[in-house]
Amino acid sequence: MPSDMRRHWFYILLSLAERDRHGSGIVRDVLELTSGELRLWPVTLYGSLDELREHGWIRELGAAPEPDEDRGHRRWFRITPQGRRALVAEMERMRSLVAVAQRRVAGIGDPS
Amino acid sequence: MTGGARRRRRLAERLFRAALRVLPADMRERDGAEIEALFAHESEDARASGVPRHLAFVIGAVWDILRRAPYEHWRRRGRRRNEDSTMRSFIADLRFAFRSFGRQPGATALIVLTLTLGVAANTAVFAIVDGLFLRPFPFPEPGRLVYLNERAPTWNLEFTGINYPDFHTWRERASTFESMALWAETSVNLADASGAERVQGLAVTYDFPKTLGIRPVLGRSFTKEEDGPTPSRVVVLGYGLWQTRFAGSRDVVGQPLRINSRPYTIIGVLPREADFPGRAQFWVPLNGDPNQRGESYGYDGIGRLKPGVTVEQARSDLLRAHAPIWTARDSARVVSPRLDGLREQFGSNFRAMGKALGAGALLVLLIACANVAGAMLARSIFRRREIAIRLALGASAKRVGRQLITESLALAIVAGLAGTLIGRWLVRLLVTFGSDQLPPWVQLQFGVRTIVFAVLVIVATALVFGLAPALQARRADVTGSLVGGAGTRASVGIPQRRMLDALVVIEIALALVLLAGSGLLVRAYGTLRNMDPGFRPDGVMTFQLALPQAKYPSAVAQRRFYATLTDRLTATPGVQSAGVVTCLPFGCHWGMFLRAEGAAPPARNSSNPVVLARYASAHYFEAMGIRLVHGRFFTDAEGGPTGPHPVVINEQLAKQLWPNVADPVGKRMIWNGDTVSTDWMTVVGVVRDVRHYGLVKPMIGGLYKSAFEADTSQSLESLGIAVRSATGEAAVLAAARAIVRELDPELPLIDVRSAQAAVNRSFADRRTIAFVFAAFGGIALALALGGIYAVLSYVVGRRRQEIGIRMALGAQRSQVIGLVVRQGLRLVAIGVVLGLPVSLLALREISSLLVGVSARDPLTYAAAIALLAATAALSALVPARRAAGVDPKTALVEG
Repeated sequence: MPSDMRRHWFYILLSLAERDRHGSGIVRDVLELTSGELRLWPVTLYGSLDELREHGWIRELGAAPEPDEDRGHRRWFRITPQGRRALVAEMERMRSLVAVAQRRVAGIGDPS
Repeated sequence: MTGGARRRRRLAERLFRAALRVLPADMRERDGAEIEALFAHESEDARASGVPRHLAFVIGAVWDILRRAPYEHWRRRGRRRNEDSTMRSFIADLRFAFRSFGRQPGATALIVLTLTLGVAANTAVFAIVDGLFLRPFPFPEPGRLVYLNERAPTWNLEFTGINYPDFHTWRERASTFESMALWAETSVNLADASGAERVQGLAVTYDFPKTLGIRPVLGRSFTKEEDGPTPSRVVVLGYGLWQTRFAGSRDVVGQPLRINSRPYTIIGVLPREADFPGRAQFWVPLNGDPNQRGESYGYDGIGRLKPGVTVEQARSDLLRAHAPIWTARDSARVVSPRLDGLREQFGSNFRAMGKALGAGALLVLLIACANVAGAMLARSIFRRREIAIRLALGASAKRVGRQLITESLALAIVAGLAGTLIGRWLVRLLVTFGSDQLPPWVQLQFGVRTIVFAVLVIVATALVFGLAPALQARRADVTGSLVGGAGTRASVGIPQRRMLDALVVIEIALALVLLAGSGLLVRAYGTLRNMDPGFRPDGVMTFQLALPQAKYPSAVAQRRFYATLTDRLTATPGVQSAGVVTCLPFGCHWGMFLRAEGAAPPARNSSNPVVLARYASAHYFEAMGIRLVHGRFFTDAEGGPTGPHPVVINEQLAKQLWPNVADPVGKRMIWNGDTVSTDWMTVVGVVRDVRHYGLVKPMIGGLYKSAFEADTSQSLESLGIAVRSATGEAAVLAAARAIVRELDPELPLIDVRSAQAAVNRSFADRRTIAFVFAAFGGIALALALGGIYAVLSYVVGRRRQEIGIRMALGAQRSQVIGLVVRQGLRLVAIGVVLGLPVSLLALREISSLLVGVSARDPLTYAAAIALLAATAALSALVPARRAAGVDPKTALVEG
């Protein structure tokens, strides 16, 4: 998927790229990553997780990877190699976007 | 945790859980528990930071569900089926439709306007039909209400009115009724410090409110005792009178009210919906006497059937209950009870008219549909390439057809909204200006029922006019359209042309039905306008007076009053003559039986037609302009206790009593009612029949007796006054008011109108339907012509090349014009051939509305056909001239 990944997909992948997480963990991590700007509401979160799984970018873990501090969360998620590739591709796209924009803005001329 | 916080948390969780139900089932199953747990967990954090934050969190989470749910549903539908979802494609189609309409604003506006007219006509007519036939009366279980009356075929009367003792017997003996009641319309003078006023009301039996199923909003209704044979002075106010005269004051019960100069006590106030059968402002007890001597028919009856009883069962029960009356005093069984559903009875006079209006509106809509179908079809032919491309790219024919139906639906919705609004406005207009042409019990409302009907019309319309192009699309020839490219201009596809032609032919055929129908109705109206009512209405002013018994207790006092009044009116400058009569034309009815001298008393079961009896002053004939045929008018001085009673009879009565006598002047007759009198009456003159019951109703035998004859004990409480003048109605009216006020300041003038207005009023309904049909016919003509114009323009556009070749080969301008016009006329000819038998068949249904013109009147049909042909030729001329203007060179090069 070369272009325009949805914002919350991007952040979910980014969050899982660090380590496996459960739903609540993703929400908190994304809040932290975006300095509280993006809150993944429950239904959006699980809907998106379902879509990402359909794409084959994440998968659900059978059992909790670490002794859970929080008994309520049964389901853990892990990023797949395809997911990592999609994330990298999205980062590349954003990088080139920024590069183009920077060149143009610089070309127009900074007064200083 | 405080109790409030706990409650709040529980409430929030319940709310969130409830909202989750809108998600797809499989998502709820798999993720539901997780989502709830996450919500609870995060909610806990949010709650820690205060109530506003918590609230914002809950709202945010619920909003998230609602926002996301449609997407989740759609996502699954896509998963299930690879094709796109119906809903999404519908919306896409709709968007596409509006975009393509936007590119052709003129044509689209025309289509919408056409449909708007059709929908407006139909919703307005539906509101009327609903008010007349469908809407139940505003009483509990209206289906159980029936109308009661009596009939006497040998008297030539389908409705005699009910005799009180008969009703009394029914009420005692009938077993299928929960209750039954009588009513009689009455009008009284209400006088108070502010002046005199004439008010309509009802005299009712005590069980009237129970039968209708209503209760007074204030106070009570009559008791059985108050409705006994001795009059009691109690009155129940109608809601309207309570509001206008007593400003809705709640302590009105117990207050006095002067009715006909007598004190009455107000005992209650009726609810608003009790206005039955309309325009009744109060109720007084009917005070019927079951032992009354002599038969007097005149009341209307209403019954409430027991649950589950059919009209048929009630009818035979009523006949059974009536049987003792036949044994006791009517062995010939002349009078028998009749019973009909209340709504059927009240709507019966308007059935033919309602049907005609409904059919007319439907025809307009059908023509509009055919017209729009043609336009859509032409559009779809122009869009053949677009459609072919879509088909080639893999869209199914079904899918393309759906797109076209959606376009139709979009048009129908816009037109439907506009049409419904206009229809509503038309109904308002009718209520404002035509309310006196409608019976008082009709409530014209543009309510939910009408709107539901409008929606049905809109959907049906969209399907009807969207079907033709959609069917076309299915048969679209993909390769032909694509390969042909611009060259498709050379000729028009045969099937498309055929369908376009067929639509125009249908339009012409339907338009012919409407045109011929409106022609017939307009001619019938013209006949009515010119019909001789039996008197000369021009320059005649009429009004009524009702003398209160309290002030004018004797016939002598009443007579003196009217004699003075007519004398003073006649003395007024400009007045030619003035007279009084008991029943003015189109007014009341008082039926009597007569026997000619020497004739045998009528045998059992033989015909004994009722005669309209009137008392009139000598100058009434002159004032009304009633023409004498034989003999002379009587004078006011004639008659008296000893002398013979002079009477003037109408031609119909002369024929009825002395069928073989050319001039019955000098013949004698007597009243032949319950008791045969010995007071002979002598015919002194014969006058023309006055069409008392309306211009279209046959006149029965009638007689005029002298109102001022000194001896009669006949009460003259209420009389009509006719004044003929040369000075104009306003001057006469002012003079009359002044004279009446001088004679008795408490007397109001009632039913003031010119005789011409009374005549016009008597056929106002026919005028309305003629106008409406003329409008329908005009619309139909315009639409049909528009159809012809569109088809020919289209054909000319498509055949430019061919026409160019013809002209290059030497065809004249006139030949080209003739070619195109002939094509138009050919369609008209086919349409007429198909429409003529349809018209002849369909218009038989309106024959009951026609007067002086047959439903198959050849002249009307010829005129309608000529009008269609002439205007069709005119509308064909525009595209024809355009064709003749084709420059052969450019046409050929373009091709």
